[in-house]
Amino acid sequence: MLKQINTLLVTTIFLFFLLGGCAKKVDPNVKVLNFVISSKVKGMDPVYAADKYSNNEIARVYEGLLEYHYLKRPYTLVPNLAASMPKVSADGLTYTFKIKQGVMFHDDICFPRGKGRELEAADFVYSIKRLADPKLQSLGWWLLDGKIKGLNSWRKKYSSADAADYSEVVEGLQALDKYTLQFKLARPFPQFLYSLAMPFTFAVANEAVTKYGKEFLNHPVGTGPFILPAFEQSNKITYVKNPTFREKLYPSEASEEFKKLGYLADAGKRLPLVDKIVVKTMVESQPRWLNFLKGKLDYISIPKDNFDTAVIPGKGISDKLAKKGIILLITPSLDVTYTSFNFDHKLFQNKKLRQALSLAIDIHKVNKLFYNDTGLPANSVIPPGIAGHIKGFVNKYQGPDLERSKKLLAEAGYKDGKGLPELVYETTASTTARLQGDLFVRRMALIGVKARIQQNTWPEMNKKINNRTAMIWGIAWSADYPDAENFLQLLYGPNRAPGSNKAGYNNPAFNRMFEVASRMQDSPERTAFYERLNLLVAEDSPWIFGVHRQSYVIKHGWLKNYISSDFDSGQAQYLNINLKEKIKKIEVL
Amino acid sequence: MNIYVYTIRRSLYVIPILLGVSMMIFFLFNFISGDPTSILLGPHATAVQMAELRQELGLDRAWYFQYWDIVKSAFTFDFGRSWTTKQQISSMLSSGAIPSMTVSIPAFIISTVLSISIALLISFFRGGWLDKTVVFVCVTMMSISSLAYILFSQWFFAFKLGWFEISGYENGFPDFVPYVLLPILIWVMMTIGPNVRFFRTVMLDEVYQDYVRTARSKGLSEYYILFKHVLKNAMIPIITYVVIQIPFLILGALLTESFFGIPGLGSMTLDAINGNDFPVIKAMTILTAVAYIIFSLITDVLYTVVDPRVRLK
Amino acid sequence: MGNITKSKSLWSHAWSSLTADRMALISMVIIGTYTLIAVLGGLDLIASDWAKEVGPSYAAPSWDNLLGTDIFGRSVVAKVIKGTEIAMSIGLFTAIVSTVIGVFLGSIAGYYGGKVDEVIVWFYTTFASIPGIMKLVAISFILGKGLFAIYLALGLSNWVHLCRLVRGEVIRHKDREYVQAATAIGGGNFRKLFKHILPNVFHIVIIQFSLQFQTAIKSEVILSYLGLGAQSVPSWGTMINDSKLELARDVWWQLSAATAAMLIVVLAFNILGDALRDALDPKLKGK
Repeated sequence: MLKQINTLLVTTIFLFFLLGGCAKKVDPNVKVLNFVISSKVKGMDPVYAADKYSNNEIARVYEGLLEYHYLKRPYTLVPNLAASMPKVSADGLTYTFKIKQGVMFHDDICFPRGKGRELEAADFVYSIKRLADPKLQSLGWWLLDGKIKGLNSWRKKYSSADAADYSEVVEGLQALDKYTLQFKLARPFPQFLYSLAMPFTFAVANEAVTKYGKEFLNHPVGTGPFILPAFEQSNKITYVKNPTFREKLYPSEASEEFKKLGYLADAGKRLPLVDKIVVKTMVESQPRWLNFLKGKLDYISIPKDNFDTAVIPGKGISDKLAKKGIILLITPSLDVTYTSFNFDHKLFQNKKLRQALSLAIDIHKVNKLFYNDTGLPANSVIPPGIAGHIKGFVNKYQGPDLERSKKLLAEAGYKDGKGLPELVYETTASTTARLQGDLFVRRMALIGVKARIQQNTWPEMNKKINNRTAMIWGIAWSADYPDAENFLQLLYGPNRAPGSNKAGYNNPAFNRMFEVASRMQDSPERTAFYERLNLLVAEDSPWIFGVHRQSYVIKHGWLKNYISSDFDSGQAQYLNINLKEKIKKIEVL
Repeated sequence: MNIYVYTIRRSLYVIPILLGVSMMIFFLFNFISGDPTSILLGPHATAVQMAELRQELGLDRAWYFQYWDIVKSAFTFDFGRSWTTKQQISSMLSSGAIPSMTVSIPAFIISTVLSISIALLISFFRGGWLDKTVVFVCVTMMSISSLAYILFSQWFFAFKLGWFEISGYENGFPDFVPYVLLPILIWVMMTIGPNVRFFRTVMLDEVYQDYVRTARSKGLSEYYILFKHVLKNAMIPIITYVVIQIPFLILGALLTESFFGIPGLGSMTLDAINGNDFPVIKAMTILTAVAYIIFSLITDVLYTVVDPRVRLK
Repeated sequence: MGNITKSKSLWSHAWSSLTADRMALISMVIIGTYTLIAVLGGLDLIASDWAKEVGPSYAAPSWDNLLGTDIFGRSVVAKVIKGTEIAMSIGLFTAIVSTVIGVFLGSIAGYYGGKVDEVIVWFYTTFASIPGIMKLVAISFILGKGLFAIYLALGLSNWVHLCRLVRGEVIRHKDREYVQAATAIGGGNFRKLFKHILPNVFHIVIIQFSLQFQTAIKSEVILSYLGLGAQSVPSWGTMINDSKLELARDVWWQLSAATAAMLIVVLAFNILGDALRDALDPKLKGK
């Protein structure tokens, strides 16, 4: 009996290997994009599109009124589902949009006869009300909270009812006719248009929401360039080209930097340029790397604070990879990393102490170890690339300067660290985060300050930061939209945790100036305000500034038109694959 | 007491255990899970929003209602929705079960059959160099960390040598086959050591029994004794050992699934642990516990049926 | 009294058969060496400068740095040695915690029987139904981070098996003549339990202790992977875990060093455990 089982076993194992042996070849007729993301997508409902990954996935299927021009820097908003940029009233409070005609929703059984209907202005009214719906607990409500006339009272009215009434007219959010949409703002909000390019405000069809109910997050029905028939919680998402996509063309204008690099090769071609997108989830970095090296992924972005690169520090890609046609793209990104103090601890209200600790940090070493020496040491909060950043300004308290650090520490009343409690640096469990914490602890030891790290899962750390029990922690902020206001609000007193000002920094002078600046339209005066705020923060050292990171992407030569961007949702429609090149290259990988 | 009465009595014992498990889960997870709202609402959350969400999730209710939810879910398998993915947990479980089982079941069968064969072989040559070598190799294999197996195998066998897929998964037979080969191999490597050791001990226990001595003195061949007597009698502890492992196959291979991108319950559990997704953690705990209780019941009854020596109490 | 001489002869017999077993001897030497390293490390006599940079980031093994360097240019050798201290302490304290709980509950349940037994059996059956990883995570959540929490978390989640064994043995022994005799001459319950019964189940405890020791060392890797491991000090678990960022760039030395260090000591414990079983377990005696 045992013998038979063994024979059976051997045969099965053999069969398994045989089946495993036949690798799939590249299909020469179908252009497929192969992407990877490092965490699971949280459903396909725009109102929950709070993280970058969900954002990108949602923007393949759904679209909004506006988008960022694919080939222009600095970032420029252009119409997408809107027919043109809106008319804005003189007081800056009323925005009137005309939307494109003839835009169709994807075919789906939620529509009569399964045919997608035309998009109307009312769809945006509906979609944005969903963002405010208290029953949905959307993650994007902060974006419009208090900004659209009547929307807050609508939300409040239904917060204890069983369901919100979408037919009730909200003054600031109306469809004047089939193609005209009007927003009335409650107060000047110069960043308003940016919010219309974010997936939170993308158009959904109420038929789909009604039909699928709570399962709507698994049945995306949009107007976008790709279709996802059904979203499954697995490690693979496959999109196909939308056959009824309107005529949208690859841009024929570009910033000079892109023109030179041949990004206009596909100018005037109808979008999307590929037939299929396959997005895989790989939580661990090892499989991401290995799959990329084998050509199974078109590109991988190297996590910004991750040193696990094939990149020679400070130089570029290693010869071995360059020979395989692998290309490295380094692009500055709109963000800042920092080590935050908790101002609830009396200790950290001592400015000299904050400055002393800041001076102890060797920012160049941080840059070298964790950002391959390509990050830009941050002198204050606003990154280069947006108004408010001051070129050439050097923060006096940027480390490493152990002498001055020790001196300031003594002036702060803690000579050689005496009298200071042990500092606790909170970090997540990721290897890189822990190593960064290690470095912090080691620098502190050099000025006599005792410190230790404490690892957490991300939610745990989040909780500690929000309920203000964390003492010191390292974190980063990436822009939601390209405006300095988005960075400065991190230090605005009234935003204190659980709001976005996690440090709890509260400086009346800063607050007053911020309030003025945040209501101003883009102008040289506003830029001057931003710069003053930026300088004030640099002197006050509420955080230890880290670096403005660069995004690192390594891609195979066959992936065309790829640009690393801070706002890359919707990007897939512009990408192209050179199949001939891919078939040739994949042989040698 | 006859076997039927015993079975019924033993089945009734499941109830206090289930209550115990639900209590433990409640104490372990509801108390520490605390307030999830700041996690769920992201960095821009306001206090009002948090209060609304607490109400929405039922976290403002009295503790006995929350406890009752756990007890109920152990019977109805309705675990609500995940905090992080917002998906129905029951549908997450059903879609994750198959990928997990495509790894765990073949791996389990291969490992078990292989270990029994090896154990038989070395008990035949007990005390000899083959026995000693195999035992040493087994012990060495089980002394290596599972994470080291995974990292090294993926890098070496899949990437450097290109024998296997690096990671990924496809639904449906035979599409999934290439993706599960290496995970299965790793599973077998990790479990074969302890298995062989256990089976060998069980068989040697039998080899030194009196009846074997009697059989030998009767001049029966060692080969015959081993297969006819030893294996047959050793089957009882072997079956018990094997059956009681089955419930844990549900959990899948936690780390392996995560590294190889297999969308099973194991990687789901790890995601849930990393994301403090307590409804999912609770659901997986309840599911495994219930399976464990049922399978221990089965082994107990089986044991009584096949081995008359066991006294019914 | 006859009982005690019997148990004495068991121990001396065990000792002579252990020392006769070459593998067991080697294992004991290995464990002794690791313990020595751990103690010296604990007294800061060796590897106290593990945090010092001794070379460039990720230097390959060479004569200067025998096992290469890590990302910060720290010596992998020093980290392995410092990690030994962590691993051995985790093994020791975890084994102590689980042994104390297991023996205590097991012997009480076995000795008193009745309701006490039922409650304890109910408790450990319930406890065993919950998957180990969930227990680890939950206990770590409650206890927080750090070495102390690791000892307790691993210890608390690993006592059931021993408890079962001890309970079974105590039940087997309590009706034996010598215990009956002790009752006849008026021995109290505690006296009977500790003086007469426990010495007879001690061999199980020893075997299990050596097994718990190595299980704990291995479990620390998983804890590190989950971010619940040792903080601020190098452990083999964090070293193995770090290597997931390293292999793709062909940095294999940290993984190899930590894995090998762990392999040797865990292997030694396993072999010693086996030898102890062979020497002490009366069932296999006389083979």
